[in-house]
Amino acid sequence: MSRFPLVRAAEDVSVHHLCERPLHGLPSGATGRHIATREVYVSRLQADGLYKVFGRAPDEAVRRLEAGADRGELRADGTTAAVIDASFTVEPGQIFVVMGLSGSGKSTLLRMLNGLLEPTAGRVLFDGRDLTSLPARDLRRVRATKISMVFQHFALFPHRSVLENAAYGLEVQGVPRAEREQRAAEALELCGLGGWAASWPNELSGGMQQRVGLARALATDADLLLMDESFSALDPLIRRDMQDQLLELQKRLKKTIVFITHDLNEAMRLGDRIAVMRDGRIVQLGSAEDILLRPEGDYVASFIQDVDRSRVLTASAVMTAPDRPDAGQCDCPSVAPDTTVAELCAVSARVPHPVAVRDPEGNVVGTVPQQKLVAFVGGDDEPQGRPAACGDAARPAAVKTASQNTEKEAAHA
Amino acid sequence: MPRLALGEWVDGAVDWLQSHLSWLFDAVSSVVTGMYDGISAALTAPQPLLFAGILAVLAWWLRGLTAGVLAFAGFALVDSIELWNDAMSTLSLVLVATVVTLAIAVPLGIWASRSRAVSAVTKPVLDFMQTMPAMVYLIPGIIFFGVGVVPGIIATIIFALPPGVRMTELGIRQVDGDLVEAAEAFGTSPRNTLTRVQLPLALPTIMAGVNQVIMLGLSMVVIAGMVGGGGLGGAVYRAIGNVDIGLGFEAGVSIVILAMYLDRITGGLGRQVSPLGRRAAAKARAAAGGLRIRHYRPRPVVAVAGVVVLALVAGGLNLFGGAGKSATAAGGDDVGQGRKVTLGYIPWDEGVASTFLWKELLERRGFDVDAQQYEAGALYTGMANGQIDAQTDSWLPTTHATYWKKYGDKLEDLGSWYGPTSLELSVPSYVKGIDSLADLKGRAGQFKGRIVGIEPSAGEMGLLKDKVLKQYGLEGEYKVVDGSTPGMLAELKRAYAKKEPIVTTLWSPHWAYSSYDLKKLEDPKGAWGEGDGVHTLARKGFAQDNPEVTAWLKGFKMTEQQLTGLEAEIQETGKGKEQEAVRAWLDEHPDLAEKWAPAPGGASAASRNADGKDERARPLNVAWFPWEEDIAATYLWKAVLERRGYTMNLQQFEVGPMYAALSRGQIDVQFDGWLPTTQKRYWDAYGDKLNDLGSWYGPTSLEIAVPDYVKGVDSLADLKGKGGQFKGRIVGIEPGTETMNILKKKVLPGYGLDGEYEVVDSSTPGMLAELKRAYAKKEPVAVMLWTPHWAYDQYGLTKLKDPKKTFGGGDRLHTVASEEFPRQYPQLTKWFKDFKLSDKQLAGLENEIQKAGAGHEEEAVKTWMDRNPGITDTLAPL
Repeated sequence: MSRFPLVRAAEDVSVHHLCERPLHGLPSGATGRHIATREVYVSRLQADGLYKVFGRAPDEAVRRLEAGADRGELRADGTTAAVIDASFTVEPGQIFVVMGLSGSGKSTLLRMLNGLLEPTAGRVLFDGRDLTSLPARDLRRVRATKISMVFQHFALFPHRSVLENAAYGLEVQGVPRAEREQRAAEALELCGLGGWAASWPNELSGGMQQRVGLARALATDADLLLMDESFSALDPLIRRDMQDQLLELQKRLKKTIVFITHDLNEAMRLGDRIAVMRDGRIVQLGSAEDILLRPEGDYVASFIQDVDRSRVLTASAVMTAPDRPDAGQCDCPSVAPDTTVAELCAVSARVPHPVAVRDPEGNVVGTVPQQKLVAFVGGDDEPQGRPAACGDAARPAAVKTASQNTEKEAAHA
Repeated sequence: MPRLALGEWVDGAVDWLQSHLSWLFDAVSSVVTGMYDGISAALTAPQPLLFAGILAVLAWWLRGLTAGVLAFAGFALVDSIELWNDAMSTLSLVLVATVVTLAIAVPLGIWASRSRAVSAVTKPVLDFMQTMPAMVYLIPGIIFFGVGVVPGIIATIIFALPPGVRMTELGIRQVDGDLVEAAEAFGTSPRNTLTRVQLPLALPTIMAGVNQVIMLGLSMVVIAGMVGGGGLGGAVYRAIGNVDIGLGFEAGVSIVILAMYLDRITGGLGRQVSPLGRRAAAKARAAAGGLRIRHYRPRPVVAVAGVVVLALVAGGLNLFGGAGKSATAAGGDDVGQGRKVTLGYIPWDEGVASTFLWKELLERRGFDVDAQQYEAGALYTGMANGQIDAQTDSWLPTTHATYWKKYGDKLEDLGSWYGPTSLELSVPSYVKGIDSLADLKGRAGQFKGRIVGIEPSAGEMGLLKDKVLKQYGLEGEYKVVDGSTPGMLAELKRAYAKKEPIVTTLWSPHWAYSSYDLKKLEDPKGAWGEGDGVHTLARKGFAQDNPEVTAWLKGFKMTEQQLTGLEAEIQETGKGKEQEAVRAWLDEHPDLAEKWAPAPGGASAASRNADGKDERARPLNVAWFPWEEDIAATYLWKAVLERRGYTMNLQQFEVGPMYAALSRGQIDVQFDGWLPTTQKRYWDAYGDKLNDLGSWYGPTSLEIAVPDYVKGVDSLADLKGKGGQFKGRIVGIEPGTETMNILKKKVLPGYGLDGEYEVVDSSTPGMLAELKRAYAKKEPVAVMLWTPHWAYDQYGLTKLKDPKKTFGGGDRLHTVASEEFPRQYPQLTKWFKDFKLSDKQLAGLENEIQKAGAGHEEEAVKTWMDRNPGITDTLAPL
């Protein structure tokens, strides 16, 4: 199987080699730090060869997995390898999405990040501190102050009011009542639940309950937010709302977020970087565009078929170098590099020639010929010569792959 | 299949436990009894209706107005049918059992919820505890804890524990795993997770467990009643024994009222304590319209205030009632009436012994005694000043001669209580060649030149230094080391243990002579002077103030054996516990207290027991079974003894537990000892701890009786072949009684009836009820009976002859008392030994009781006594 060629940095203790392959389309803030030399730099969160094996003789199982044994071989002995050799880094302010189908080990992985589960092998470094070696007491302290969590089924305490729920983390920290209630109220306000402090969780709708969960996580002022399929239990409209709100909040708060989801669209929408997991292993690690444009292996490729690429990919991903010096010289509309392909289509329909892509300073950085755009939306990099209406182009393919995908999921289950 | 001796092994284990862990059982017993007594005292203290009001307010708060009103009505009913005290003792029993059960069950449940191993271990144990018939626990319970509330409570705890543990475990395990994970994800410690998340959410389930514990506890009270647990259970049990439907129903209804109240209250409490429940209740109240008053609940503050006010009123009433009582509580013993007597003593052993002896004696006589230790000089000064009333350790005429010379005119000599004494120097017997004071000369090196002395102020030390050493020419050679009596004794002990030579200043009497092998050094020159007597001195004027005490002290004499015995007792018991030692010693010498400090007037000497107390002060615990002759004798004595100023507690028992209780002294006496045959096995088991006070009636006989309308059946042999006529049944009495065993094992086989007839286990009242029913319908019936019995007067019955003598010789009815009884009740012992009833007397009395009906025994006895004037003086002559 084609594993993402991630080089492990197990030799270092609290720093890591910046020797990942330079990733295309990585947000500039993060890419800028990635220089191809050895550097002493501490990520917010670093997972380092994490293994989690349930069952008998876990250490023995890890040895066998390292020697190349398969997950299936172990299962025959009654041991389950939930996470196998997972390594990644998360930078401050990033939303890191772990995407995978159920049973792929993503929730287990998340619970190792804050020490709810102890890794069978490997380390978790948080701000350079090895969480796996911390005594239980210190680990609890870290969880209380630095890392908070939002759950799939909200996990609100039914015997506490909304305000008391939001204040829970602060209560654990031992913050005096008046202060914690004020901070909890602020967090609720931030999540749009200003008037609901005195209500009880079971009086709220699902979306509102999850906002309480989010407020509870934000109230502690933790640096790292772990979100475990937090929006999966909500209906699609609310889910979209919540995604928007999360992105909105993230713009203001600049938290570091690890987000778990089984929904690739959600992953693409939210993730600065995405790790795709399958059978306990990370099979691809990269930006949304990386995964869409350069899927590693058939699994990821089949996975991304039902993604509405036009809403994920941007002009910068499809543009070619300006083919003519006069490109963009006319008064025709041009687009910014981060314009989505969907919007690009609309522009392209009105423009007779390739659409110019301009950076914020107005310089032309590339052009998008209509042919290429059509090919792209059709799911193929090569032009097919079949003109199609921009907006409808993706639909048939989407329907087809959606059904395929359902079959695949059923097989998986 | 070989017979596994499972029962015997359990027997053996129980025996082993009893002999090796009796301290534990005693401790458990005293803790449980203490809790029970405390709660019971608190519950019975207020006026019944007032307390019913308190309970009603509680119900109002937790359940609403209707519940409050019903609760009050229910408890008022209990009070009106005169079962209030029984209900309260049942409530106490249930509360104690519940508290103890929860104290064990909740932590155990929490532990089981956190550990699979604990859960796996507790599960089968709990199953065993819950399904084993609870009555089985009573058997070892009686052996370990005796009869009374304790075995009942212990059995209840064992029986009620499982649901408490299970519900706690279930409640905690039921808490959503997501919530626990959320708590952990926010860094909550395991302990806080338990208290902040798991327990609050598990509370409704745990409260359901509490409710079950209480209900199971209530269901056990009847069983507890069988072993003397008393309360409503006792009433039910009594009712069963007497086939008294009315009492049974009343007691049953009281139990129901109590059960419903407790059930609703714990239910309501569950809602109040759990946050979720509180919210649900508030919602329901908001939703329910209708009459506002019906849904009005006093706020907790109001409810608490109401309870407190009622409780205060109750307490106030009780206070007034109590004051009236305590004024009349003083008996003939109270000579001192709280007058203060100050005794002084020197820390010499005979001084300590005699002073604490008198402190104890005088306190028993109602004086307030203050015993203070002084240095000899201070003691005499204090007495001369009138600050100290008396002292018992004045060595006159020699040792304390200086003090007597100085203060004698301000003191009064009440005479010597011990003497003569002697002063001497002593050496251990392993020091050879030194037998007299003269031998000490030139041997100073051996003794390091030291004579170990006592308090420098002691007269003996003065004599030694000024006179004795001089006369024998030792003053340059030996140095007398000043110290103290305990110091001297410690030094003696140390030297003695190492076999070092030592000379000590000693005197006789002293316990050191019995503890160590010592030589008193001879005093050929008579330097120590004449032997002293130990005198009691009092300040001038004490005799006028306390004539009784003065008289007692003047008459005080102790023998050497008594004094050294008491000193040794004090020495063994340890410092600070002198009075306890005195008490123990007085218990061993029961007559002395009365001899030394006789109470003038009051109770006659004969009714003073071994502790010098009026035996009537202690309530007499009498056990009885619902057999007619026993009811008659017991109630007769109750009436007689109440006229003589005794109080009696009657407790109904089964034969086995009754003998067990008698042997433990929990029961003082019973009148229905069928000896030597019927109750032989109990006598064999417990006889060595019992006193047979002789027979009051006899001989008796056991027999099978048939109504005289059954013709042709005159002897047991005639029953053969007539099984069909009697439906193959012989109606028996309580199973397990020896009578029944004889019937089944000897009589039926003896006449070849064992295949044909079945002996129906029942009870005496059950048998009589069956006889009555059959007699009324003229049906043939064969019943187990005995003589004396009123049934022979009531019905025409034929006693079946027993030519083969299979029932054995006739028993006599004996009065059986506990081991301690003759000591505790010398007067009663005498009366009971002389107790006799004739055939005519007993039959008349039984008939009277039978006529009056169950529950009216006392009136029946009174009627009978009125017709037999002088019976009181015959039975209990003064």
